[in-house]
Amino acid sequence: MTPGTTPETTPGRARQTAQVSPVGRGGDGTAVAFSGVTRSYGAVRAVDGIDLRIAAGETVALLGRNGAGKSTTLNMLLGLLPPSSGTVRLFGGEPETAVRAGRVGAMLQDGKAIPRVTVRELVGFVAATYPRPMDVAEALELAGLAEFAGRRVDRLSGGQAQRVRFAVALAGNPDLLVLDEPTAALDVEARRTFWRAMRAYARRGNTIVFSTHYLEEADDHADRIVVIDRGRVVADGSGEAIKRRAGGSLVSFDLAGAPTAPLSTLPGVHSVEVRGDRALLRTADSDATVLALAGLGLVRGLEVTAASLEDAFLTLTSPDGANADAPNHDAPNHDALKETA
Amino acid sequence: MLGYLRLEVRRTLRDRGFVIFGIGMPVLMYVLMTNIGAGPGGADMGWKTASMVGMAAYGALGAAIGTGTGVAEDKQLGWLRQLRITPMGPLRAVVGRGLTGSVTVLPAIVAVLLVGALVNGIRMPAWQWAALAGLLWLGTAPFTLLGLGNGYRLSAQSTGVVNTGCMLLLSIVGGLWFPAELFPGWLRALSAWTPGNRFAELGRSVTEGGAPSLAAVAVLAAWLAVFGTYAVYAYRRAARTV
Repeated sequence: MTPGTTPETTPGRARQTAQVSPVGRGGDGTAVAFSGVTRSYGAVRAVDGIDLRIAAGETVALLGRNGAGKSTTLNMLLGLLPPSSGTVRLFGGEPETAVRAGRVGAMLQDGKAIPRVTVRELVGFVAATYPRPMDVAEALELAGLAEFAGRRVDRLSGGQAQRVRFAVALAGNPDLLVLDEPTAALDVEARRTFWRAMRAYARRGNTIVFSTHYLEEADDHADRIVVIDRGRVVADGSGEAIKRRAGGSLVSFDLAGAPTAPLSTLPGVHSVEVRGDRALLRTADSDATVLALAGLGLVRGLEVTAASLEDAFLTLTSPDGANADAPNHDAPNHDALKETA
Repeated sequence: MLGYLRLEVRRTLRDRGFVIFGIGMPVLMYVLMTNIGAGPGGADMGWKTASMVGMAAYGALGAAIGTGTGVAEDKQLGWLRQLRITPMGPLRAVVGRGLTGSVTVLPAIVAVLLVGALVNGIRMPAWQWAALAGLLWLGTAPFTLLGLGNGYRLSAQSTGVVNTGCMLLLSIVGGLWFPAELFPGWLRALSAWTPGNRFAELGRSVTEGGAPSLAAVAVLAAWLAVFGTYAVYAYRRAARTV
């Protein structure tokens, strides 16, 4: 399901196992709403003014580097951490209210296996704290744990323990599933299984918010990517939109001494970077840009490549402090974009 | 909350350390103290009874305080945080833990009392056995709160050490290992103000056929208030970071 098509009609209350049963439960179809949220630890501003609305039924990836503020954001979302300023609402109320109502399940980043309890006991216990839990066997099946049900949690491998944490998050059949770097300890095969399960859960009409620093994961498994850098949302949209945003294509050519100043005003160009004698233009319309360059006679060594999501990510979260969230910016280089906030 | 209680009791009883040190130790010490070096006829019934109460109290006190050690471990593993995003709510989680303590103190009490009756041949009317077990059970409340306070306030490693230290100090100074009557005067006077001593007195008064003294109940109630306040403070502080 894509967010743009049906978010209002599927507020995501899927209680049946196999199909979506869109029972509206209060609110306007908004699962998560951040407004003006900041969070400081001493002098450090981990989250620096986040505004974000996630519709019920969306699958959203929070993408960012380590330390970008993803976990702090998710902890505030869950009500584990009060914001320094601003408000966080889940399903139109306080996060605590949604948690107490059993509408939220989460897989936290640093959770470890607790000793002396079996997988079935643990998942069964968590399920029983929720008003409308999933069948325990079903949760174990979804998380790929059916064969380990009788095993003690502290005697599982890292990847298996990770699945237990996923099962714990799912067990209550929550409307909103929050996953903080869910695949960190998983190998490739386990990752694939995990995402299959997550998507199955999303298809039931549930809202999913996960954080990751893997670009492909965000692109492959989320309807929408919210790029977070230095505690701010620097981009928000589909994988495609993020790529477009950072410049859909990369046009490069040898400058051969030509002036760089006019380049940023060429049609389609978002940003200009000069590496040695080579100019790199990020452009939303490579055809127009190339034609314009040809008009200027700047075609030596001309290359046009599609920007990868990796490029987009690096552009958006450039470590030198470049800030790509100024709308329609066309500044010639990153130095001119030093963060002012 | 009952589910939480069940889960935690299971986890505690599966802990070999708990079974060996929490249940085995008091039983072993009781058997040794009343049967070794006491001559062919064994120790007199008075000592056998007093030591039974002392060792049952010691075992119960240890299990009660140990509840908090488990909390500190769970905190370190991130499990308390995970619990906070279940609908259970933080208050019920704490109460559930406290109730866990009230269940896991029972094996030590029952085991020592059984050894007293079956091995050392102590005979009392049924009501006295029941009252003894019941009072020892109720009397563990302050110690559970002390352990929980430490568990919420300290790291897992510190909690283990501090709780063990508290248990030994309160047991020994309280006269659970050796009767306070053997202490020097100043220590005996101090002992009378400690919760361990008054906790054992609850039991001793029953074995002597009487009711606990008002002083014993008052001192224990005061400690219950102190440790309860401490636990609430520690929990509130931890809730901000857990």
